[in-house]
Amino acid sequence: MNIERDQNGGFVFSEVEQPIAEMFLSIPSALEPDGNRAAHARLFPDPAGGKDEKISQEWADYVVPELREGFENAAVTVEGDLGSLIAGEALTIPLAHVDAWLNALNQARLVLAARFEVTEEDMNNPEPFDSQNEREMAISQIHVFGLLQECLIQGLGEGLV
Amino acid sequence: MNETQTQTKEKTALDVPWNVVVHNDPVNLMSYVAMVFRRVFGFSKEKAEQHMLEVHHKGRSVVWSGGRERAELYVQQLHGFLLLATLERSE
Repeated sequence: MNIERDQNGGFVFSEVEQPIAEMFLSIPSALEPDGNRAAHARLFPDPAGGKDEKISQEWADYVVPELREGFENAAVTVEGDLGSLIAGEALTIPLAHVDAWLNALNQARLVLAARFEVTEEDMNNPEPFDSQNEREMAISQIHVFGLLQECLIQGLGEGLV
Repeated sequence: MNETQTQTKEKTALDVPWNVVVHNDPVNLMSYVAMVFRRVFGFSKEKAEQHMLEVHHKGRSVVWSGGRERAELYVQQLHGFLLLATLERSE
């Protein structure tokens, strides 16, 4: 895979190997909590940590719908950009879409981690993953999405000191 | 309780500062967390990384303290970036 910047600062991923392309194309489905309560709770955490029912209820009524809308908009942007990859072309992430990508990739990573109860130990396990094992595939998706996030963050010049 | 005492008690409760606390999770990238701190709070790179490392090593970091309304706004922004953040009354 080659990564270049276009004249407007967008990121262009060309010659994307098939397994990586499939991982990228799996982002929209990975965003779905599929009714998993832990995933939903992680996307919309209680700001009071269970200690103030009034704050929690107001948050659920007024803030969560706004957050949900923001997450859905990010997902729509990413799905649109993935169209070129489906067509077998390079994947271009315009600079104006980078925040949406960072958001959607994070959503996907958190949903997968919650659904498959991924721990810090799992994340640091250097063993190769088994592609026939759904949970191990989810962990590898989390890593690949993380690499893409890191690439975008570094490209924006917002990496660590 | 007379009116002055009630008013004083209410004022004291309202004056208590609120903390914005960010909690560790095993998934968010360290660079992403630091980036979010810089964007939301306008921290320098160094300060953002200090808080990020505190979250990573100690499990939590108080990233801002002040009035409740602003604290809620910051938590909303942090949730928008998918960080695990809560509001706590300052002790």
